[in-house]
Amino acid sequence: MKKHILSVDDEVDIRELLQEVLTMKGYRVSTAAEPEQAKKIVKEDPPDLIIMDFQIEEGDGFVLIEAFKTLAPATPILLLTGAVFDRQVVRDTIQKKVASYLDKTASLSMIVSEIQRLLGDTPDATEHH
Amino acid sequence: MKEKIEQRVVSLFVLMLGILVFVAFAAVRTIEKFIESSDWVNHTHDVIIQVNDVVSSLHAGDAALRTYLLTGDRRDQGAYRSAYAEMIEHLEIAKALTRSGLEKNTQNKQILELQDLISNRVDFTRSVVKARDQSGIDGARQVFAAHPDVESMGKIQRLSAFIIDGENGLLRERDKESHLQAQATRTTVYTGVVVNFILLVFVVWLLRDDLDARRQAAFALEEANAHLEAKVQERTAELVKANLSLKQENLERRWSNQALDHQLRYSQLIINSITDLVFVISRALNISRINPAVGHQTQWEPQDLVAQSLDRVLQLNPEASAGTPPQNPIAVAMREGRELQNRQAVLLSKGGTTTSVEYSMVPLRDQDKVVGAVVIVRLRNESPKAG
Repeated sequence: MKKHILSVDDEVDIRELLQEVLTMKGYRVSTAAEPEQAKKIVKEDPPDLIIMDFQIEEGDGFVLIEAFKTLAPATPILLLTGAVFDRQVVRDTIQKKVASYLDKTASLSMIVSEIQRLLGDTPDATEHH
Repeated sequence: MKEKIEQRVVSLFVLMLGILVFVAFAAVRTIEKFIESSDWVNHTHDVIIQVNDVVSSLHAGDAALRTYLLTGDRRDQGAYRSAYAEMIEHLEIAKALTRSGLEKNTQNKQILELQDLISNRVDFTRSVVKARDQSGIDGARQVFAAHPDVESMGKIQRLSAFIIDGENGLLRERDKESHLQAQATRTTVYTGVVVNFILLVFVVWLLRDDLDARRQAAFALEEANAHLEAKVQERTAELVKANLSLKQENLERRWSNQALDHQLRYSQLIINSITDLVFVISRALNISRINPAVGHQTQWEPQDLVAQSLDRVLQLNPEASAGTPPQNPIAVAMREGRELQNRQAVLLSKGGTTTSVEYSMVPLRDQDKVVGAVVIVRLRNESPKAG
């Protein structure tokens, strides 16, 4: 059975691109642009991994992280954002709240590798690092 | 190669057929000659038998005649007449048999000579019988005494023996000829069979060779196909891999563009949200970028300020030191690579209004080289003055 990933981002291009890549890698991907839509998916079809940005339409990333921790405490969260620039700040604050943090400027292959690591999957042979 | 073999096989079969036809034709011809020779052998035997029968009938007739001459019994007369009639019949048959063929010129003439001798003999016999019938046995004796026939029988026997010798000679020749014909027939048939057998063996060898060549060609083709198939699969796998790689590169590029665009918009959003006036200047103190707060405060449009000197909108208090002319503090700080904090200046609006402000300057470094600076201007709590 395919693993389920929820991608939460207010930018449609980012959501679509992530969905295309992760579907190609063999995952089942749901997307949400708003917090309520994301929470509904988590309740009805609990994902194996949540990928989210801080900047969300009609919501706040930090609040949404807390909501996810309540709804699905065992589900790892990968924070994928371009909003925080200071590495030290990330290490001291944000990374304690989520399973992993990546800057949006990270390469796609690195993001996929991190997703596979969080899901305990073996990277496939075609992947470029 | 294939066509060459086929041509050879067809040619050999045509040759074999030709040989068979030739052998059959030659065999038929020699058999016909053999039959002809056999006919002549039989014919010769027939001639000999007829000549012998002529002599036998003559002897039998003579014996019966003597009996009749002694007895005068009519039954004996019938016996010699019957014997003579048979003799004539045999003589006619012999004559007919020798009218053609090799006997025509020699034996036929001898038969005719024999006929004359026998005819004379028969005439003499008639005269004797007549004398017997008219004058009794004494009359017959008188005829015998008058015409002593002591030679004719000997001549007939000698001529008959001569004719039979001649026929025996012909018989030997014809036997020999018949034997040669049979030999020729055997030789022709055996030669044809042997040659055809050799040709058949050669055809079998050719076909076997051709089959071997075809088997090898089929094997080579199979190997080539397998090799080609492997190449195609290898190439397909390479293309699939390359395609996947290209697809991933494309996705990577799209992601990179998206991320950079997002980052740029986010940075732009931050700068645009700052209420302080922000000027980005080059090392020559020309403005390269401003935030919207500059326009709100001074009514200058970006196109009025970009590429213009910072002096157009901001009047700095020049720094002076002993013995040197006053210098632009931002230019000095940029040269020295240091920041300026909370310095006094006057902001000039498009309409000529001046406002006292404080400014800070942070040099822009690119790989440890100062390439420009960011000047941040804050309004002081004083109302603007008309220029």
